[in-house]
Amino acid sequence: MSVALAAVRRKNINPTLRRYLQALRFPRGIGGLILLVILVASALLAPLLFPGGYDQQTSDSLQGLSLAHPFGTDELGRDIFARSLFGLRTDLSIIVVAVPLGMVTGTVIGMLGALSPLAGNIFQRVLDVILGFPGIILGVCVVLVMGAGWASLVVAIAISSLPTFGRLSRAAMLSQSQREYVIAARTLGVSRATIITRHILPNAIDPILVAGTVFVVAAIFIEAGLSIIGLGIQPPQPSLGSLLNSATRFISQSPTYIVGPTVVLFLLALSFSLISDALNRSVNRP
Amino acid sequence: MIRYIFRRIPSFVIVVALASIVAFLLPRLAPGDPAVQMAGPDATTEQVDAIRHAAGLDLPLVTQYLNWVGGIFHGDLGTSFSYHRPVSELIAASMESSFELAIFAAIIMVVLALVLGVLGGTQLRKTSRTVLDVINTAMIAMPAFLVGLILIVVFGIVLRVLPISGQVNLSENFAEGIKYLILPAIALALGQAAVIARLLQTSMLTTRGEEFVDLATAKGASPARITFRHVLPASLNTAIVALGLRIGELLGGAIVIEAIFSRSGLGQLAVQAVNSRDYFLVQALVIGAVMIAVLSQLTSELVTAAVDPRVRLDG
Repeated sequence: MSVALAAVRRKNINPTLRRYLQALRFPRGIGGLILLVILVASALLAPLLFPGGYDQQTSDSLQGLSLAHPFGTDELGRDIFARSLFGLRTDLSIIVVAVPLGMVTGTVIGMLGALSPLAGNIFQRVLDVILGFPGIILGVCVVLVMGAGWASLVVAIAISSLPTFGRLSRAAMLSQSQREYVIAARTLGVSRATIITRHILPNAIDPILVAGTVFVVAAIFIEAGLSIIGLGIQPPQPSLGSLLNSATRFISQSPTYIVGPTVVLFLLALSFSLISDALNRSVNRP
Repeated sequence: MIRYIFRRIPSFVIVVALASIVAFLLPRLAPGDPAVQMAGPDATTEQVDAIRHAAGLDLPLVTQYLNWVGGIFHGDLGTSFSYHRPVSELIAASMESSFELAIFAAIIMVVLALVLGVLGGTQLRKTSRTVLDVINTAMIAMPAFLVGLILIVVFGIVLRVLPISGQVNLSENFAEGIKYLILPAIALALGQAAVIARLLQTSMLTTRGEEFVDLATAKGASPARITFRHVLPASLNTAIVALGLRIGELLGGAIVIEAIFSRSGLGQLAVQAVNSRDYFLVQALVIGAVMIAVLSQLTSELVTAAVDPRVRLDG
């Protein structure tokens, strides 16, 4: 981190990257990043910390919070701390695939829509229909087709991100294409594909990237929501949402069950909202 | 005004029509044959065919779709595969619980949004504003289920003042039913209220800079009168539009909230329908949710247009 900061100060790195790294100058940016690094590291190290995996059963079922089991144990005597870390792995794996997938698809759709009015109209109607499905109902529809599991969560999250990225990229594309540098490039005979990828895209990417980090939080909540109603990750595999699903079922016997997964979920969402906030401030600086 | 309504209707119809096609096709895209499932493991091919024929699933897709849409207008939503009862009956049975929750949550949402929004839209000292902003931001950042879980821990487990799972219908026992509604309704309403409050606050602060507010001040109107008679009515526009959008979100959130608080409403029905691939039940619930969401959006646009002539005259 300090190396990165020093590099920022020396100003000898790629200027675009430098602009993004400047987000680390805000306390919330560096705080969010540290939090995220800790979470990712513990998720990656989970198999080393708990060699028994997430399915190690003991006879101590539904125990409260203790030193041996910081988050207590579940209905089968499994350590909830271990299960939360493995659940975090599941959540991170979904985010890492789903959000970039939605971002790229949405951006391509939006840009194609800006190129031709007909395609633009069709895509807008499609996005309207997606927006017509409130909240988690879109995810429910995806599960209906694909069955519950990791893949349908990824698809559900990617599809619900399309309106955001589609509209942002279309707007950016339309506003950039009237700028002098684009007209200049066009006059010089640069091909349309090159203008879009080499000239417009780098200038349009900021809001899309910021929206991407904001959408990660939404993605976490979509996973949790679908898993809580039993249409997400299926047992015995843990995810933060599926842990909350079982926690709510045992809430009267073991009220502390929900504490662990809730805390991890909250920290994960918090880290990304802090980062997105700092990123937003740093790219919008005059 | 009437011209405005007519201008808005086509896009509404298009969205609902497309959504109905999506709702119709989705279950049929899924692998597996519901007729085989319904018939059970020992059924002969003839029995499966008979069931398929009885449910109309052997007809061409277009015919099936038209039959379904035609049925909707006659109040016939088909028969559920898994419950062997008319879909309309099943929905009617679960509707009371969900409607009570939705209406109660909507009331809390509107009241809370107005209180927080007006409070934020008045001139405040720096510390009060910071406190209000922090509360508001926290409320926006937390999804309904997280609020629900926290409420369960605080009020149901630590303080033990309110029931945290199950339901009593208001028509059976009003006082008891309200107790079961309070926590889920607050969980559902809090985040949505914060979003509307934030919008109301912003537009009220903008309106305060307008000349007619200065005029009212110059005429010696009291701060309360300025806020409620002059600033608030001129600032409600965006809040009303947001309200329409939020009702849809409320609906989506209700599924998860019903699961957390073990209420057997439409959300639970939808989850069961998805798990048992119950075509007609799923179709009806999905299109119902989309229609309510889009209708409340349309209604809020019309209300805005009725309140503010600028909206209906341009574009």
